[in-house]
Amino acid sequence: MKKNYLPAKAFLFLFLLMFIFLPFIPLVLTSFSYNWIWPNAMPESFSLSAWDYVLFDNSSTWQAIGVSLLIAFIVTAVNIILAVPAANAFVRYPLRGKWLFEAIIFAPIVIPPFVAVMGIHLTFLRIGLTETIFGVVLAHISPTLPYVVRAAITSYSTLSVDWENQARMLGAGPFSRFYHVVLPHLMPGIAAGASLSILISLSQYLITFIIGSGQVMTLPILLFPFISGGDPAIASSYSLLFAGMAIVALLILDLALKRYYKKKQAAAAIKGVRE
Amino acid sequence: MRKLALAAAGLLALALGACSNEANDTAANKTDDLLASDWETIATEAGGQEVNMYMWGGNENINRYLDEWVAPRLQKEYDVELQRVPVNDAQDFINQLVDEKSAGKKQGSIDIIWINGENFKAAKDNELLWGDFAGKLPNFNEYIDPDALEVAEDFGEPVEGLEAPWGKAQFVFVHDEKKAAEPPKSMDELAEWVKENPGQFTYPALPDFTGSAFIRHVLYETTGGYEQYQQPAADIEDLEQRLAPMWQYLNEIEPYLWREGETYPESLAKLDQLYASGEVSMTMSYDPALAASEVMKGRFPESTKTFLLEGGTLANTHFLSIPFNSSDKAGALVAINEMLSPEAQTAKLSPENWGDLSALDFEKLSAEQQKAMNEVDFGTATLPLEELEGNRLPELSSDYIEVIEKGWMENVAKD
Repeated sequence: MKKNYLPAKAFLFLFLLMFIFLPFIPLVLTSFSYNWIWPNAMPESFSLSAWDYVLFDNSSTWQAIGVSLLIAFIVTAVNIILAVPAANAFVRYPLRGKWLFEAIIFAPIVIPPFVAVMGIHLTFLRIGLTETIFGVVLAHISPTLPYVVRAAITSYSTLSVDWENQARMLGAGPFSRFYHVVLPHLMPGIAAGASLSILISLSQYLITFIIGSGQVMTLPILLFPFISGGDPAIASSYSLLFAGMAIVALLILDLALKRYYKKKQAAAAIKGVRE
Repeated sequence: MRKLALAAAGLLALALGACSNEANDTAANKTDDLLASDWETIATEAGGQEVNMYMWGGNENINRYLDEWVAPRLQKEYDVELQRVPVNDAQDFINQLVDEKSAGKKQGSIDIIWINGENFKAAKDNELLWGDFAGKLPNFNEYIDPDALEVAEDFGEPVEGLEAPWGKAQFVFVHDEKKAAEPPKSMDELAEWVKENPGQFTYPALPDFTGSAFIRHVLYETTGGYEQYQQPAADIEDLEQRLAPMWQYLNEIEPYLWREGETYPESLAKLDQLYASGEVSMTMSYDPALAASEVMKGRFPESTKTFLLEGGTLANTHFLSIPFNSSDKAGALVAINEMLSPEAQTAKLSPENWGDLSALDFEKLSAEQQKAMNEVDFGTATLPLEELEGNRLPELSSDYIEVIEKGWMENVAKD
């Protein structure tokens, strides 16, 4: 049995190596390079100056990472609060004109964000929401919400109402029905949606720049001018830092999820002993 | 119930909108008296203000110059806090100001912007700039000749005091001495050189700023000088015929360019990359000291040098301006004035800091200040200032640039 998996595993390993790990090597080399002239395979000498600029001389980098993560996590929390009831309604109630609501929620995937954000900017200017983290959070919801709703819908459509009915017959109120029956079933879907929401929010440049008007500094705002300006060492350092930030954000999410499952297991074990 | 909730939300939004507009009105009137007051009043009012400077943020040297040289001095001497806001493209904050204007936002956070050329024209046409402030600045009055063409006009557009010159740029070619020992001195010689060294030269595809400037040199040299283009493009009836020799020249060298001219680098940054990695032997720059600072950083080879054309190269000025709705105009005035001081301009001149040419009139400086500027070490890759100054050509106005960019697509890129 085990042998059958081997080619698949080897293929997966190669795939990860080629498309995920290898592209990072030149990025790391460039960020440390000094005097890297074609056709040398390796830079002639190494220098820490790009990292020095990004990490230490430029105090705004750390602040930008903090703001990026803060926005991403708030956006994701709001998305979950909005997406779960929405998915519930989409899957379970025979809404009239359901396709219209779905179209509105999924429109940001199809319509380029630039189109929408220009209009949002004017409106936010009038009501004084530009240049605030709150405004940027609101603006980030439109490109991220569709993914969370999509994931929650998938989870809901595999959850039969019978489970909840059974809990109801056993005397569970609406809150404990949701917490003990629905939520555990939704968890994997929510985790997938939340990961996407975090990643998409972290990588927003245009929306953050326009709504934040340069007063809300996230990491992409610092990074973009260097990519188009052509300072490869600094652009590489920032890119690696960005990748690191995204990975840490996902790890935090993963850790929270694991803790949730552990608690569940522990709770189930205790109940098992009592019975 | 549901209708009630909707109505409540709508009311709230309206109320919020009304509040923010009212709060904006009172503070705005105060700053407009600023242009009438004397410099001392302005300097006192500037104390404690936080000035946001929106500028392109893709160069470590420039960022460091502002963060580590300009900002601490402003803080110490005037108690003005300079906050640099990095932007990908000057077009971005112009769009932002257009939106703020149409939404009626009177207390904006942009206090200083770094612009020239098309962006200045767009800002001026949309009335996004505060007013005729340049004459208020002591350093402007003392060290700058307001009637000099390069200060009075920005790409053919009259400046009218709406912006103050910060520095000058001049087009130079960059070459590797080891690969091109005798650099060409005219466009004709360049064509010969390109044919003898196939694959060693190319230019950034239009509408790249520097690629477009390269083509303007071709225009000047193949069609008989810049003088004929000092009038609006619409006034020249046979413009298309006049441009024909330029397209002919570009198509003639195309097969000998990098990758046989099948493709062009999409930006100057990409061309610099090709040069840095040794794939081509020449690149170009609007910053005469950029090559020197890239050599210092170890990106360009030590044998890098710069050269001009015998007929001169294009030069332009870049400016600082204050938007109509800046909240800290006094602070902005003080900051701009400080950046025009001989000390700040001399520091800016050094390739270690930035390597940008001074905006000041050299003749108006004291002997000591002149000496300080002359002592700046440009490294071996930069040409002497006198040689640069003696070979300047004026820019074309933006209506020509549009015609050329469109024409290049049709006549060169598509063929």
